[in-house]
Amino acid sequence: MKTENKKIKKKSGKTLQTAREASYFAKKMLKNALQAQEEGRPIGWSMVTWWQGELIARAIGAELVFPENYGAFCAATGGAEKHLEISDSEGYPATLCGYARNSIGYAKLLSDNNFVPYEGAPGGGLAKPKFFLASGTACDARYKWFQALKRYFTEAPVWTVDLPMPGTKEFFYKGNKELGLKYIVDHLKDYVAFLENLLGTKLDYDRLNEIVDQTFKTLALAHEVDILRRAVPSPMVGSDFWSIMIPHLYLPEDPEAYEFYKKVYAEVKQRVDNKIGAIPNEKYRLMFAELPPWHSLGFFGELAEKFGMAIVIESWNYHAILPIPEEEFEGVTDPLEKVAMLTYYKWTEYNKVALEYNVDPGFFMAAYFQFAKDYKTDGLLAHPLMSCRPATYTLLHTKNTLENKLKIPGVVIDGDIIDLRVFNEKEAFSKMEAFVETMDHYREERKKAGIAW
Amino acid sequence: MKDINKKTGLARAKDIYNHRSKRARELKAEGKKVIGYFCCFPPVEIMTALDFLPLRLLGDMDEPITVADGYLPTVMCIFYRSTFDLGMKGRFDFIDGFIGAHACDGAERTSYIWSNYIKTPCNFFLDLPHVDKGEAVSYFKGQLNYLKETIEGLAGKKLDIESLKEAISLHNKQRQLVRELYYLRKPDPPLINGSEVLQVMISIMMIPAEEGNALIQEVIDEVKTRQDIPDKKNGRLLVWGSLIDNIKFTDLIESSGLNIIIEDTATGTRPFWHDIEETEDPLDGVARHYLQEVKCPRTFAETDTSYKEDLENRYSYLKDFAKYWKVNGVFGNIIRNCDIHGYEIPAVKDYLESLGLPVLIIEQDYSTASLEPLRTRFQAFAETIG
Repeated sequence: MKTENKKIKKKSGKTLQTAREASYFAKKMLKNALQAQEEGRPIGWSMVTWWQGELIARAIGAELVFPENYGAFCAATGGAEKHLEISDSEGYPATLCGYARNSIGYAKLLSDNNFVPYEGAPGGGLAKPKFFLASGTACDARYKWFQALKRYFTEAPVWTVDLPMPGTKEFFYKGNKELGLKYIVDHLKDYVAFLENLLGTKLDYDRLNEIVDQTFKTLALAHEVDILRRAVPSPMVGSDFWSIMIPHLYLPEDPEAYEFYKKVYAEVKQRVDNKIGAIPNEKYRLMFAELPPWHSLGFFGELAEKFGMAIVIESWNYHAILPIPEEEFEGVTDPLEKVAMLTYYKWTEYNKVALEYNVDPGFFMAAYFQFAKDYKTDGLLAHPLMSCRPATYTLLHTKNTLENKLKIPGVVIDGDIIDLRVFNEKEAFSKMEAFVETMDHYREERKKAGIAW
Repeated sequence: MKDINKKTGLARAKDIYNHRSKRARELKAEGKKVIGYFCCFPPVEIMTALDFLPLRLLGDMDEPITVADGYLPTVMCIFYRSTFDLGMKGRFDFIDGFIGAHACDGAERTSYIWSNYIKTPCNFFLDLPHVDKGEAVSYFKGQLNYLKETIEGLAGKKLDIESLKEAISLHNKQRQLVRELYYLRKPDPPLINGSEVLQVMISIMMIPAEEGNALIQEVIDEVKTRQDIPDKKNGRLLVWGSLIDNIKFTDLIESSGLNIIIEDTATGTRPFWHDIEETEDPLDGVARHYLQEVKCPRTFAETDTSYKEDLENRYSYLKDFAKYWKVNGVFGNIIRNCDIHGYEIPAVKDYLESLGLPVLIIEQDYSTASLEPLRTRFQAFAETIG
């Protein structure tokens, strides 16, 4: 069976030079952590918390690595399967998140090897954590998984940073936004105390302020790149984004990330100014939801080549935050409050769109309604993930409502972020071939309905 | 008097269990409003205090999922897919209000999607923090205030503190009666079997609290004096994990050489094991109870300790259950795709096995059609622990 599932190496589908360079940041994180281990500096295994927890941890001197990102790295380099098998043999259900299973398997190997990464571990491996930074945002796996990892790192504490997640309607109840922000700030104070106690050092709030300011700068520039992508033809595609997102999602406070985004911006702007599309003969402009099959990114290159399909925008949650109006910051000096605003505004930024279209939830879903307009899209490619289920729970609902309300059709291609066995590339390709006719049909429907694109 | 009220005790519980919405529909016809809610976190006390009938929305293991397929992906929690499927088929078309909850990913996402397709005059999404710290309790209390205000609109009246205190007292009485019912399972063999208990537990989630309390009291009185008690069996089982809401499942387990003695699930002990503390502002006690005392792995407990201590913090109540009820085996029930319990499996096994308790973990598909193949596993487990 394994030979049938063997991945044939294809091109990554990246079209930007800067996208090809972005893996530098993933490698930098792994390398820095291994170096920190050698130097005896504290290392945290962290979830993406949309900057809520990471900025503070770094300000206090912790080096962070991201097992989620490592999962994608292992999948893309063929190193995940071994870890998945170990996770299964440890008794964890095979239905759990693929990233989690990957890191559970890796953690077992690390623990068995006296906390030295095993020979040949992808990217040199993840260094032993001093603590875990879990997240209550987006899905349950993101705190249950780290809680489970304590089995292998018995003395490392787990801290879960939580985020309010009210419904769209409820978010607009008088005083609820402020209540949520207060909760986050109070919660972050607890988190700071936890880190200070664990690491035996005080948080330098001036340093945190610098980090927060730099983060806002990087995210603003990353958002400018998103705006450039509205051009027709699309100057970059999803395969580019999945690489360039690494610095703004994981290392936004790193000055190198900001410098990198200057280069990305320049490269994309040059294409826009010269009406150069990322793919030749762009015919169909697609939104993509959720995470891609990391092991089969070449699939998107084939869609471009055969059908002229460009992924012009993708999953909202991995993108930089929309700019926060300056007046919102009036009187705000506490960097913890700025961090709270950053994360909470990110997770509620499309609630107004959700109200406008009468759809729920505002996160994971409403952004596609705005994207469809801003990026003049023809369709939605929904990629339900066998092992990252919560991210996919709203996909059919999103597909249905986009079709009903904006006459944007959707196609569902089942797959996984890690496990290539559940991605049938041939079948997926046939579905996409048939989807061409559907998109043509809906173009006519949009015209009849007076929808602008 | 309606037919349903002619029966008493276990017979009445069985009747309500078999016709779960019957009493709600009768009360609705008499003018009472019904609020359907997800999981065991929306406070029923607030609903009761405003004269609503709180009705727990459950799935149906007997009903094939058909309509939900077009809305919820097959990879998600099957229980919530089933519940949504029933909603789309009109099974809950009599409810006046819907309270979704951020209990777990399945409940949360289904709550959102539910309100898009299944319209009720009133709906509210109750956000529930993942941690149980003081600031989380304060935030949660704020959400409870919004819930209160929302359903006050449906009730057409304001909630007064005294009514809420009375409702808390009424539901605390129910908690006390549930515990009393569970104590009847301490003897070997237990005085009441798992399917009978399940019928009672489901029933009290479908009828007003006063009627539920009367029902449990009738059952207790009946069970204490009856002669036809369950047979003694090899296994005295603690059930841990995802909920069970169908007696075909418990019948299968109990016909495989095992007696179910106690269930640490969302239809078992979890909503009932601790009383709500009486506080000056009753919402303080309500918020603390639901966030800090309802034991479910969905609420993260801080682990600034060693792994061993962490396990003790998280599971010592299971040790207490096992000791008091003298269980000799544990069934870990996982509805497929339930992450909340799925991540716990090796840890809970580590803990229980360290106590000398064998553990049987089964992931199942929340369908009575796929139960029978599990029989041999329960039989083998019964033989192992006997």
